[in-house]
Amino acid sequence: MKKHPMLKYLKEEGPAGPRLPLIMCPGCGAGQVLNYALHAVDTLLQEDALRKEDFVFISGVGCSSRLASHYLNFDSGWTLHGRALAVATGAQLANPRLKIVVFTGDGDAAAIGGNHFIHTCRRNMDMTIVCMNNGLYGMTGGQVAPTTPIGQTTTTTPYGNVEDEFDLCRLAQTAGATYVARWTTAHPHQVIKSILKGIRKKGTAFIEILSQCPVHRKTSPVEMFRNMKKITVPLKKSAAGQAAGKIPVGEFCDIDKPDWIERYQGIMDQLSE
Amino acid sequence: MSNNEILKPGVYYLQGAQACLEGAITAGCRVYAGYPITPATEIMEHAAHRLPRLGGRFIQMEDEISSASVLLGASWAGAKAMTATSSPGFSLMQEVISFAIMTETPLVIVDVQRPGPGQGYITTGQEDVMQARWGHHGEGSIIALSPASVQDMFEFTIEAFNLAERWRTPVLVMAEETVAHMRERLIVPAPGTIPIVNRTKPQDMGIAPEHYLPYGHAQVPPMATWGEGYNINHVSLVHHEDGNVTRYNPKVHFENVARIHRKIEDNVDTIARLETRELEGCRHVLICYGSVSRTGIEAVLEARAERGIPIGFIRLHTLWPFPERQLRDLLPDVGVVFVPEMNLGMMAHPIMEALRDRCRRVVSIPSLGSLHSPEMILARIYEELQ
Amino acid sequence: MTRQQRFEIRIAGFGGQGVVTIGRILGTAFSVFGGKNSVNTQSYGPESRGGACRSEVVVSEGDINYPYVRNADVLIALSQVALDTYIGELKEGGILVFDPDAVTTLPPSGRFLRYAVPTVALAHETGDLKYQNVVALGALYALIRDRIEKASLMEALKQSVPPKTIDTNMAAFDKGKRYVQSHFLRET
Repeated sequence: MKKHPMLKYLKEEGPAGPRLPLIMCPGCGAGQVLNYALHAVDTLLQEDALRKEDFVFISGVGCSSRLASHYLNFDSGWTLHGRALAVATGAQLANPRLKIVVFTGDGDAAAIGGNHFIHTCRRNMDMTIVCMNNGLYGMTGGQVAPTTPIGQTTTTTPYGNVEDEFDLCRLAQTAGATYVARWTTAHPHQVIKSILKGIRKKGTAFIEILSQCPVHRKTSPVEMFRNMKKITVPLKKSAAGQAAGKIPVGEFCDIDKPDWIERYQGIMDQLSE
Repeated sequence: MSNNEILKPGVYYLQGAQACLEGAITAGCRVYAGYPITPATEIMEHAAHRLPRLGGRFIQMEDEISSASVLLGASWAGAKAMTATSSPGFSLMQEVISFAIMTETPLVIVDVQRPGPGQGYITTGQEDVMQARWGHHGEGSIIALSPASVQDMFEFTIEAFNLAERWRTPVLVMAEETVAHMRERLIVPAPGTIPIVNRTKPQDMGIAPEHYLPYGHAQVPPMATWGEGYNINHVSLVHHEDGNVTRYNPKVHFENVARIHRKIEDNVDTIARLETRELEGCRHVLICYGSVSRTGIEAVLEARAERGIPIGFIRLHTLWPFPERQLRDLLPDVGVVFVPEMNLGMMAHPIMEALRDRCRRVVSIPSLGSLHSPEMILARIYEELQ
Repeated sequence: MTRQQRFEIRIAGFGGQGVVTIGRILGTAFSVFGGKNSVNTQSYGPESRGGACRSEVVVSEGDINYPYVRNADVLIALSQVALDTYIGELKEGGILVFDPDAVTTLPPSGRFLRYAVPTVALAHETGDLKYQNVVALGALYALIRDRIEKASLMEALKQSVPPKTIDTNMAAFDKGKRYVQSHFLRET
C-alpha cells in the first residue's frame, strides 16, 4: 500500500513505540486540517527557500492542539490551555526567523485564550493561527463553547444555550490581524491556499476552519461533512445579502501592515547607531 | 547605562531592581516579558530601556500569565528569558511554573514580594516563600534564591540563570520590596570573575537528531533549541524519554516525575547555599533570609556585644531546595532557634523539621508589611533568654 | 561596634519637595565618589503623600546591616508634619536643618543643634521653588564637611539632575552652603 505523502512529516515510531494512529476520533476534522497544513508546509519547502528546521508548531490544549503534541517531525511545543499564542510570541522574540504555525481550537483560542488572541492580533505578531472550530469543547466531553450557536444542547447547556456565539473572524479582524479567512474541512484547497498565504505573509494570519466533531454532535462524519457546504456561503454572496442565516466563508481581510518584530527592529536599529 | 553594553567593572549606585536586571543581562538574558505591578515595575521599566540596546527584545504583555508563557517559547527558541512580578502576579504564574518544571524549561522569575493575602499592601513581605515551593500544582521541585542586598540582586540573578541552565529548571528569585527599592553600592567585578553557565545541548554531547531523546541521556537531559533540526516536541503530559505521550503506564509515570523531582532534591548539597557567622561556641542561633538578614545580623551582633548572649547567625541564600542536611550538620545541639520572618512563620516549619532533635525550641518572630527593626528582634531574644 | 560606625541622615517633607532626590545624591556621593558604604531608602506608597515623605541615607566605613535609620544623626525637615513625625528619633547632639517658614513649631526641649535655613526663599532667589532641596543639601554640606568632599557631592549632583539645570543647581547648593556658613559658622 502506498504511504500517505504527508506521513514523512510525522513521527510514526520512536524508541518508546508507535505514536500513530492519531488520538483523534474517527471522522474528526482535526486530522484533515493536519493534512492540509502539512500540504501547505510541503509546498513551502519546495517552492520557497525554507527548510524543515525553520518551522515550529505550537498548540494549546484540546483536541485540535493534540496535533502538535508528539506527532510532528518538526520542532513543536504542546503548551498550556489558551496560552499558545503567548508562548509563540516568546519564540518569535528569541528568533524572528522561525516560521510559527499555531494549532488551536475555538475554546482554546477564544475562551481561556481570548485575551491573548486579541492582543496577538493587535500586535500583528508574525504567526499563522490555524483555529479548528467545532463549536464545543471536545476533549472534555462536549461542553458549550463561545462558538456554540444559541439554543444548542450540550452537556453544560442541557436546556439549550442562552448565549450568542463569537464570530472569530470578525474578532480577529477587529483586533488587528492582517490576514483573516474562514473555511471548512470540506474546502481542502482553499484551506491549503490560506495557510500558505498566511505563512508567506508577514503579520498575524488567522484561519478559522469549521471542523466536524461527529462524536459529540452525534452525527455521522459523512453527514457533517456534507453539511459544511450546506451551512456556508461564499463571502461575496453573503456580502451581497444573499443566503441569510448561512455562515460566510472566504478571505475577510488581506492587508499589509508592519508586524511587531519589524517595528521593534526599528527601535533596535536606532539605538545601535 | 545609556550605552549598549553590559555594566563594565566598577562601582555603581543602583536600586536593587536595576541591579537585578543588570545581572540578568550580564548573564545573557535577551528576552524580557512583563506586566506592571507594584513594587516590581521598576525591574520591567529598566528592562524596557536596556534590552533593545543589547540586541534583546522586551515586550509588555497583557497579563502575568502570558508574560510567564513568553519565557517558555523564548527559552525553547534558545534565549535566556526573565520576568519580574509581585505576589498576586506570582499566584497567576503557578500553572506556567508547573509546566516549566515538567517540560524542564530554563527560565527565571523574580517575585518582589509584598504582603497579602489579596491585594494586601504594597510594602514589603516574605509571604510567598511557601508558594515558591508548593504553589505549582503537582510534584516536582524548584530552586528559589533569597537576595538581601543590591549586590545580591545582581549576583543572585546571574546565579539564577546559571542554575536554570545547569539544571534545566525554572528558578525563582524571591526578593522583597525592601531590597528592590533600596539603593546601595554595586561592585561589578572583572569579566570572567563570575562564571556564566549555558544549557547543555545535544550537539555538545555529540548526539545527532535521529538519536536524540528530549527527556533522556542524563539526569539533566540536554535541551535542543528550536530551529536547529532536532525536531524536539515539548510536552507536559507524562512522557517517555523520547517524548512519547501515548504509551502510558504507571512505571513510566513514576520514572518521569521522580527523575524531575530528584534532579533538584538529590543535588541539594550542590545547589543550596547558606552563610554562617559567629557560630563557634554559640548556644542559640538566629536563622533568617532575604532583607530580614540585614536586621538579623545587626541584632545578633548587638546581643553578643552588649549582653554577652552566645547566639550565632545563619542566613539562607537558597530557600529551596531546603538545605536540611547542612543545617543539621551545622547545629548538632542548640538551645533556642530564632526565626524572624516577614510572615507569620513559614520557613520556620522546615527549620523545625530539620532541627527537631537538635534544638530545644524554635521561636518565630513575625512582622507583617515592614522590615523588622533590630529592637523588635532583640526584644524577643532578651525575652526568651533572660 | 556597628552602631557607632554609622552616620544616619533622614530628609523629610512633602512629596514633590525633592526629598528623594537629595537622598539619592547623598548616597551616590558617599558610595560612588566617597569610597564609603551607604544605603539610600525612601518611604513608599500612601506614606509618601502628605507631609512625611521620607528619604534616608545610612553611611558607614564598614558593612551596613540594618538599612534604615535607627537613631538619626541628621534630620532635614522641610514641612511641619515632617518635623513632628521624626524629631523624636533625632539623637542627642544631632543636627536639625529646617525651613523656618514651613516649620514654625519646634519641640520645647531636645538637645540637638538647630539650623533654620529659609530654603524656599533661597530657592526663589536661585530662580525656582524646585531648587529648595538642593539649597537644603548645600546647607547640610556646610555642617558635615568633615564627612564628605564637595567634589563628591558635585559629581553626584551632576548625575542626578537634567544637564541643562546643572549650573542652577550648583548655584542653589552654594546659596544653602553660604547661608549656613555666614549665619551659623562665622565663615565667609
